[in-house]
Amino acid sequence: MALSFQEPEGCASIWDFVNEVQSRLQALAQDDGLSDDIGDNISPIMLPNPDLGNLHEIENHMRAANSTPGGREALAKFVLSQDYIPKLIPLVEMAEDLESVSDLHRLCSIMKMLILLNDTSIIEYVVTDDVILGVVGALEYDPDFPLHKANHRQYLADESRFKEVVKIEDLGIKKKIHYTYRLQYLKDVVLARILDDPTFSVLNSLIFFHQVDIVQHLQANGPYLKELFGIFGPAEQDLQRKKDAVLFIQQCCSIAKSLQINARAQLYQNFINNGLLDVIQYALKHQDASVRVAGTDILVSLIDHDSLMVRSYIFKAIQEKSKPLTDTLIELLLIEVDLGVKAQMADAIKILLDPNANSASLEALGRSNSDFLAKTRGQLPPMPQPDSFIQNFYDDSVRKLFQPLKDLEKRESMEDLSIQEVALYAHLVEVLCFFIRQHSFRSKCFILSEGLAARVAQLMDCPEKHLKLTALKYFRTCIGLHDETHNRQIIQHQLFDPILKILFDTMPRDNLLNSACLELFEFIKRENIKMLVQHLVETYREKLQSITYVDTFQNLILRYDQMLEPPTTQELDHSFTSVDTDASARNAAMVNGGKWGQGLREADPDEEAYFNGSDEEDDGLPSAAKPVLNGASPVKPLVNYPDDDGDEDAMDILATSAPSASPHTMSTATQTHKSPATIASPKPNAGSPPERISEKRRREEDEEDELLASLSSSGTKRRASLSSNSSVGSLKSLRRKSPNISSTKDSGGAPKKISLSIPLKSTGEGGEGE
Amino acid sequence: MSIGGSDLDRAITQLRACRPIPENQVRELCYKARELLIEEGNVVGVDAPVTICGDIHGQFHDLMELFRVGGDVPDTNYLFMGDFVDRGFYSLESFLLLLCLKVRYPDRITLIRGNHESRQITTVYGFYDECLRKYGSANVWRYCCEVFDYLALGALVTGAATSLTPTDGPIAENINIDIPDVDCDIEIETLNAQGEIMYRYARNSDSQSSAASQANSNPASSSPIAPPTPSLAGVTGTGATSSANGSTRNDTGAILCVHGGLSPLIDTIDKIRLLDRKQEVPHEGAMCDLLWSDPDEIDGWGLSPRGAGFLFGADIVKCFNHKNDLSLIARAHQLVMEGFKEMFESTIVTVWSAPNYCYRCGNVAAILELGEDGSNGGFVRRSNGDRGGGGGGWVLGSNAGPNGTGENRRLSSVLGDSMQRTRDGPGRRYRVFEAAPQDSRGMPAKKPVADYFL
Repeated sequence: MALSFQEPEGCASIWDFVNEVQSRLQALAQDDGLSDDIGDNISPIMLPNPDLGNLHEIENHMRAANSTPGGREALAKFVLSQDYIPKLIPLVEMAEDLESVSDLHRLCSIMKMLILLNDTSIIEYVVTDDVILGVVGALEYDPDFPLHKANHRQYLADESRFKEVVKIEDLGIKKKIHYTYRLQYLKDVVLARILDDPTFSVLNSLIFFHQVDIVQHLQANGPYLKELFGIFGPAEQDLQRKKDAVLFIQQCCSIAKSLQINARAQLYQNFINNGLLDVIQYALKHQDASVRVAGTDILVSLIDHDSLMVRSYIFKAIQEKSKPLTDTLIELLLIEVDLGVKAQMADAIKILLDPNANSASLEALGRSNSDFLAKTRGQLPPMPQPDSFIQNFYDDSVRKLFQPLKDLEKRESMEDLSIQEVALYAHLVEVLCFFIRQHSFRSKCFILSEGLAARVAQLMDCPEKHLKLTALKYFRTCIGLHDETHNRQIIQHQLFDPILKILFDTMPRDNLLNSACLELFEFIKRENIKMLVQHLVETYREKLQSITYVDTFQNLILRYDQMLEPPTTQELDHSFTSVDTDASARNAAMVNGGKWGQGLREADPDEEAYFNGSDEEDDGLPSAAKPVLNGASPVKPLVNYPDDDGDEDAMDILATSAPSASPHTMSTATQTHKSPATIASPKPNAGSPPERISEKRRREEDEEDELLASLSSSGTKRRASLSSNSSVGSLKSLRRKSPNISSTKDSGGAPKKISLSIPLKSTGEGGEGE
Repeated sequence: MSIGGSDLDRAITQLRACRPIPENQVRELCYKARELLIEEGNVVGVDAPVTICGDIHGQFHDLMELFRVGGDVPDTNYLFMGDFVDRGFYSLESFLLLLCLKVRYPDRITLIRGNHESRQITTVYGFYDECLRKYGSANVWRYCCEVFDYLALGALVTGAATSLTPTDGPIAENINIDIPDVDCDIEIETLNAQGEIMYRYARNSDSQSSAASQANSNPASSSPIAPPTPSLAGVTGTGATSSANGSTRNDTGAILCVHGGLSPLIDTIDKIRLLDRKQEVPHEGAMCDLLWSDPDEIDGWGLSPRGAGFLFGADIVKCFNHKNDLSLIARAHQLVMEGFKEMFESTIVTVWSAPNYCYRCGNVAAILELGEDGSNGGFVRRSNGDRGGGGGGWVLGSNAGPNGTGENRRLSSVLGDSMQRTRDGPGRRYRVFEAAPQDSRGMPAKKPVADYFL
């Protein structure tokens, strides 16, 4: 048998126990007391009255009892019924007076054991006023740290840590507040290192229940709330008190997050009726950044709780022609100097305008208690739909928000942005990204009418690389939406210019900006966004051709050429690609009608390879184009790929799966003027020029993408469907999935392919393979 | 940005004393770090010599112990494989110190991202809470999370020596195994925190060999003709490997360092370079897998019990290493009681650098030193075609891992003769250390809530 222990004490105690049992059995159990306990675990435990002389004995008895569930139970019962802890406490000071470190260590061990018995009553008891200092006093002398003494008593005895903004009359509640604090201190400091999971959760749940009681009491206490919120009235002069009151409310709100939704709704309603929104306004404009942080915290937890409610108040403010909260937030975002608060403001704006915010929790509330909902919201102004709220925002506030971005138009140089400006633009672009994802229609109109895309592009000229990256990500987000309006705008304003500039500035260095650029173009290629492919290749063909350190751009050009292939292929395309992309491909083809013939001629040899390449057995047989295969091959991969390479490809963006992985190595090989085929491939096609193979393989890769695109209409869907397959983790999907994946790997590692690929860095030792 | 020069040195001094620096300094530090990290590729190139470290998890005092054992920062080059924060009580000090050192000595220290360097994970496992306590607001946490997004996803160590220059350290007491001669090519050496040799393993030596590896190794054979290898009789293509014999190859393949492991979506390292890493760690996809996956004794890929990433078997590692010309993958992410664990015939190693994890697991920690090629100048590898990744089936500190030869043979038949040409692993020196002595650290505890209203 093998046992494992979390802590050395556990191991030691079992060992002690076993030893003890053995020795007792050998001595034929003439002793009293303990031998009975071993025989019967449930029988009550008796410990001698503690004094400094018998601590060792007590510790051993407790260890023995601690090792069985029955013993622990009996021990807990005994300790409580006999008021054992108060008997131990005076010993701490006695031992301190005697400077008896060993006794202090024993007392600490005993106290630890008692707490880790994990008995709720004991834990509740040790934090009471009478014993807490004694208990933590004992715990100051940890035998694991013989050279140290903690100062728990000093810390907990300090009454000034408790801030009472408004006097709490109810003594029971006041006590609970102190208990909660002590429990937290036990959890975080005294026991932090030794807490086991059960004790940890007992402590947490005790803290939680206390907090619920406290918050429930306060929010239902009318006079108390009146006084609390009265602090923000004109009568109160003490600024520190106002600040404390904000922090107090912040703490209430953060505790409220863990309350049940009904209780939470009640709390916020009572707070709002007493003027919570004014408090938020007050806090947001406070000169002290920490108060502004607290204010945003309160606001965000309020929005998290019920964004509809917050919106309805804003709506009301708009109708009354007073300044709505959104405008306050926007102003603050624009002028805020504290960069942390600025970030929080940006977050708050996002949450406020998130059409999906907390709809789930509200649904739950609505279902479980619609009466309640009606009641708490009875006094509210009419609820606007989230939609009309957002409409309202777009009618008015949104211009204020993005004004700085718009003003960029007049700015000549991007060289001298201040830190605040840089942060502001970064936040604005991020908010804009959020908007185009969440409010697709309205944001589109707005961006279009204000010409914001060009302004964002302007940011790519600034020297701050992270801001360039943020701007770049805006375009990545746009393109990711597969939205024609956005794409057309990018094309119309030639916004690939700055993106390509970043690419050329950074290439071929391997850095974050460069990778982000590559990812963007890789995405366009993979998703085959024909409008963009066409624009890119037609406008920047030579530029793209010059980028050879990755094959993304050559593939883009191939894509384009492929778009101009003759109708026969279009037909095939048509049967496997989703309708819309194909339609645009056709359009593209029509637009470029003039190039038809040319495209046909060019594409011809490629096309053969295109079809042949799908069959792995035909590797490197470009000349063996059989007409029969032409019809058959598109079907064949459909059968083969899903459990072979296709699966891997479908999973991700970059994976181009086993055969397509080789093009890269193949092209490297080509550059080094080695013919991999002649070295390694025993097949009859060995003599064919490597260029052809690598080209053909690239086509193969394209084809896979194509076929996959036909399997699922969009890339996002592809990934989404994978997620249900892979990481969610149902066993069923494992069974379905893992053989596929491993078969991919097997085929990837098949001798045939390995022998074809020459290691990337092989230039220095090319002879090795010979 | 005013932090720099003496300010930075002052911040380092303060952090070394485990005292947090003011919020505005954190902000400037993070901005500075961002400027640096944005210039790094998704896979950072690192030259040997370098010391590779695994998870730290906010165990500040043990990080100090690590620096004591491994050498201080500008003198030793370090590569930390993520998971700087969470669990321990000093995530903030640990991460900020590492970040300060990064900004101060950008070429001496490399930080890559672990799965705990994420907003979502840190809100659950302690870092968020810690920042809130130590600064009263989440601002510092925000700044740090922003930096997390810029951290590289992996590193590629090149130029590591195939064998170690022997240390002249004494041999630790109570070690009753044969320590091979210093004249041999030392492949693996394990030292304790005092620099005493606990273990040494020579390449091609028989001192550790089982019967199986003897049959497999033919150590002394420098003959250019491949010896008949009956143990590999099943492999028809073995003869082809003989061509490699006698070639002079004194470098080792590169070493990929990544926090978690491999991804089914990544078959070449170049594919990692095509990711846009500036984002929260996603729940799936290549970037997620690199930070979450674990090696396991399975064939192919399996679902991870962690709910993110995958499990991957020896075949996957060998295939990946071969394809990318790697000799070894170094990763962290899993607690190993011995501090490090080589698996799959030393094609992958887990390095764990948080001793007594969570202040109670009782494990030791390790760091992995890779020497610089050339330190053994003129050394010529005796190439031996039928040896796999160098270990000859030697699985350190592992109760897993089947017999090397059997594994080798099976794989050979699957993967063909090309697998026989797997690179020899780099010389590896593991320094094993325990938790920092208590007098240096005080009692570990979280910072208590300062004031309370409720």
